[in-house]
Amino acid sequence: MAGPLFGYRVVELAEGVGGPYSAMLMGDAGADVVKVERAEGDRARGWGSKTAGDFGATFLVTNRNKRSVAVNLGTPEGLAAVKKLTDSADIVIVDAGWSDHPDLQPDAIIARNGQAVVLNISEFGHEGPLGDYPPYGELGAQMASEAIMSLGVPGQPPVRIGVDIGSMYAGIYGLSATCAALIARDRVGGQRIDVSPFGCLVAMRSTLWAAQSNPDEWWGFHLDSYLKPPDNGYHTKDGAVSFTLGRMTREQRDELYKDYDMEWVKDDPMFDLVDTDPGGSGSRYGWKVRPVWEKAFAKFTTAEVIEIGRRHGATTFEKNDYAQMINSPQVQHIGMVTSVEHPGIGPVQQLVPPWDFSDTPAEIRLPAPRLGEHTAEVLTEAGYAASEVASLKSSGVLVGA
Amino acid sequence: MTESGPLTGIRVFDMTLAMVGPWCAMNLGAMGADVIHIEPPTPRQMPGSDRPGGGVPPSINGTSIGYISWNMNKRGLTLDMKAQEDRANAYELLKTCDVFLMNMRPDVAGRLGVDYQTLSKINPGIVYCTVTGWGQDGPMRELPGADGQINHFTGMSTTNGVDGATEGELYRHSTQMDASTGNYATQAILLALVARKRTGKGQRIDMSMLRATTHLQTGRIGEYLARQTIGPRLGSAAQVVAPDRAFETGDTRQVAVAATSEAEWATFCDVIRKPELKDDPRFATNADRVDHRAELHAILEPVFKEFPLDYWVLQFRRNRLPYGWPMRWDELRYHQQVQDNGYMQLVPSTAPWGDVWTGGPPYRFSKTPERWFTTPQIGEHNDEILRELAEGRGSSTPVATPSNTGREA
Repeated sequence: MAGPLFGYRVVELAEGVGGPYSAMLMGDAGADVVKVERAEGDRARGWGSKTAGDFGATFLVTNRNKRSVAVNLGTPEGLAAVKKLTDSADIVIVDAGWSDHPDLQPDAIIARNGQAVVLNISEFGHEGPLGDYPPYGELGAQMASEAIMSLGVPGQPPVRIGVDIGSMYAGIYGLSATCAALIARDRVGGQRIDVSPFGCLVAMRSTLWAAQSNPDEWWGFHLDSYLKPPDNGYHTKDGAVSFTLGRMTREQRDELYKDYDMEWVKDDPMFDLVDTDPGGSGSRYGWKVRPVWEKAFAKFTTAEVIEIGRRHGATTFEKNDYAQMINSPQVQHIGMVTSVEHPGIGPVQQLVPPWDFSDTPAEIRLPAPRLGEHTAEVLTEAGYAASEVASLKSSGVLVGA
Repeated sequence: MTESGPLTGIRVFDMTLAMVGPWCAMNLGAMGADVIHIEPPTPRQMPGSDRPGGGVPPSINGTSIGYISWNMNKRGLTLDMKAQEDRANAYELLKTCDVFLMNMRPDVAGRLGVDYQTLSKINPGIVYCTVTGWGQDGPMRELPGADGQINHFTGMSTTNGVDGATEGELYRHSTQMDASTGNYATQAILLALVARKRTGKGQRIDMSMLRATTHLQTGRIGEYLARQTIGPRLGSAAQVVAPDRAFETGDTRQVAVAATSEAEWATFCDVIRKPELKDDPRFATNADRVDHRAELHAILEPVFKEFPLDYWVLQFRRNRLPYGWPMRWDELRYHQQVQDNGYMQLVPSTAPWGDVWTGGPPYRFSKTPERWFTTPQIGEHNDEILRELAEGRGSSTPVATPSNTGREA
C-alpha cells in the first residue's frame, strides 16, 4: 500500500533546510511534492565545498521525492504559473524569504484556495517585531533561543550546535501541525500554520524553563541533568564511552570499582563527587571527575569498559563518530542507510525515512531533482498546453526541462 | 465562532513514562486531542528518585520537573494493568481511543496485555505506536536508551565544538534527543491518522530513538556519507555556508551573521562597508567562500569589532540578512518577540507544584487554536473518566470512513 500521505499534493515555496526537509518528509510519506524554485534555484543547491567532495549533499538529502519546477518570478506569466500550482494544492509550504509578492503570501493563497493548508515558516515567528523574518539563519535562532549555551567553554567564543536543529525542528513540528490541519480540514477547511526555528528551539527547552519555576532545590539557570556526560565522553585505551552510574546500588558500585581496578578512587579527593552525586560521574561535575574515570579506563578497551560497566548495572555505550555509528551492528541490522541513484552524480547514500509503518510504508521514489527537471511535466499536468510551455520557456519565464 | 484544536475528537491512550512518550502525547494534547496519561497506582521506582518523570531534578514541592513539564495538556488516570478489573477498564477505554502510545522495552506490551494483536482486535481503528531506544530488533534491542547515550552513540556530539579540543567543553542539559524522538513519534501518529481517512483502519508504528535522532542529523550524516569523512569542528561556523558564524562585536557581545545566498553575500558586503569583497575571486561563490573560510574570517573579525552589537543587529535586520544575538532566560522570557508569538508562558496550576514556566506550543493554527494547560496529578481524573465510560460517552470517532483526502487514491 502507498504511504500515509498518498493522494495529497504539496507545493513547496521554500529554501534552505526547514521547509525543504518538511516537504521531503511529506514526499517520503507518499505525497506528490512539487518544489517550485526561482530561476536561480534553491540557495541550498550552492551549499557545500568545491574541494571537500560533498557535491552539495545538504541539498541532495533534504530534497528527494520531489519534482522541481523553475520559474522566473519577476514575470507576470511566471507568477501566474506559481499561483496556478498553489491554487490546486492540498498543502503549501511557504517560507518568509521566498517571495515578497502579495499574491504568494499565506493568507492570499488561502483566499484563493480555501482547502489549502499553508505551512508558514519564518525565523523568529509570524508575529512581533521580528515577524516574518527569512528562516535561513540557523545560528541566529540557536543563539537567540539560548540553545547554544548548552555547549562551549566559559570565556571562549560560542560553539554552534553542529546540526541545524532549529531549522530541522521547524520542519518536523511543521509536518505534525500540517497533518493535524489535514485532519481538521473536513471541519474547517484550509488554514495557516505558523512555525519558526526560534519558537521550536524555545519549546524544545521547556524542561529548563520549568526548572526555574520555584524549585525545591536551586539547580541554576542551566539545569544540569545527571544523565549527561561531558561532550567528549570518557577516553578508554582505544576510544571513548558515555558512562553513568545511573540507578546502581552501593554494593554494585563497590563491585564496579573493584573490576575497574580503581578502588584507589576512594582516596581521591574527587571521590565524593564521583560517588555521591545523583547518577555519579555523569552529573554536573562530570567534567571535573572525568580524569578520575579516565585514569581507570586507560587500562581497558571500549568493549571492556562497556562489558564490565553493564555487568554491574552502569549505563554505558560507545561514543561514536559517524563512521562508527553507521558501521555499528545495530545500525547495519536495521538497514538505516540506503543508496539513491542521482543522474549525473551517481549513487548518493542517505538515511531511510524515520518511521516504520506496518500498512502504509514510507519509501524513496525519486532522487533530489535537478533545477527545473520537471517544469514541463508538472505544468502540462496543471493544464498548460505543450506549446504554451515551450513558448514560456523560450521567453525565459520557465526554466529547465 | 471560536473553534477548538485540530485534533478535537481524537483520544489518546498515553501509556508512557520518562520523557520521549510523554512529550509526544503532550503535543497531541496541545492540538486538541483528549490525551489520557496512564500511571500505575503506586509511583514507579525511577533512577535517582521514587518520583515519576525519571526523577529529573529539580523537583517542585516533591514532584520532578520532568513529570511536570512533559505531561501538560493531559488528563490523569491510574490503572494497574496487572489487575483484572483495571485491565478490563483499560480495554473499555481503548475501544474509544484512536491512538495507543507506549515507550517501554519491547517485551513489556505483551506482559501487560497491550500488544498490537490484542488491541487491534479490540479496536481495528487504533493507531498503535511504540517507541524504543534502539529498535524492536537487532543486537541492541534490549538495552535502555536515554538522551545522553543516544547523543554519543549517534555521533551527534562529534559535530559540536572546536577541532582538536578534547578537554573542558561543557555539555549541559539538552534533552534534545528525547524530545526530538517524541516529535518524530507525534508526526508518525498524525500521518497514520491521516492515512486512516483513506484506508479506514489503524496500523502499527515502530519508532526508535536511534532512527529518529539520526534523521535529525540528516544533513550532516548525508555530508559524511558523501565525503566518507566528517568535516573539522568549526566552533560557531557552519560547514557548508560561509560566512555563517558568530563574531565578537565592539562591546564584546557576540553577533551571529550569515550570507546564505549570492544575493545575501552582495548585501552583506555593502552592510559591512567592504564592497570590494564582491569582486574578490576567493569569495566569488559560496563554495569559494567555504574553501577560503579562514581568509574570510580574518577579514571579518576586525570589522565586527568596530561597532557594538546593537549596531549590527539594526543593520542586519534592516537589510533582512540572517542574524541573531545571544539571549539568556531573563531577556528571553520577556522579549517582545517571545510575548507576541506566545513562545513561552507561565502555565497556571492549583496542583502542589503551582504555576510553571514552559515553552508554549511552537505552532500556531489560524482557525483551530492550539492550547496548553497544566499537568494532571496522578489519577486526578479517575472518577471523571470512569464515569464517562460507564455512561458510554467515548469522545472518539469510531473507525473513520474513507473520505476527504485531497484526491481519492
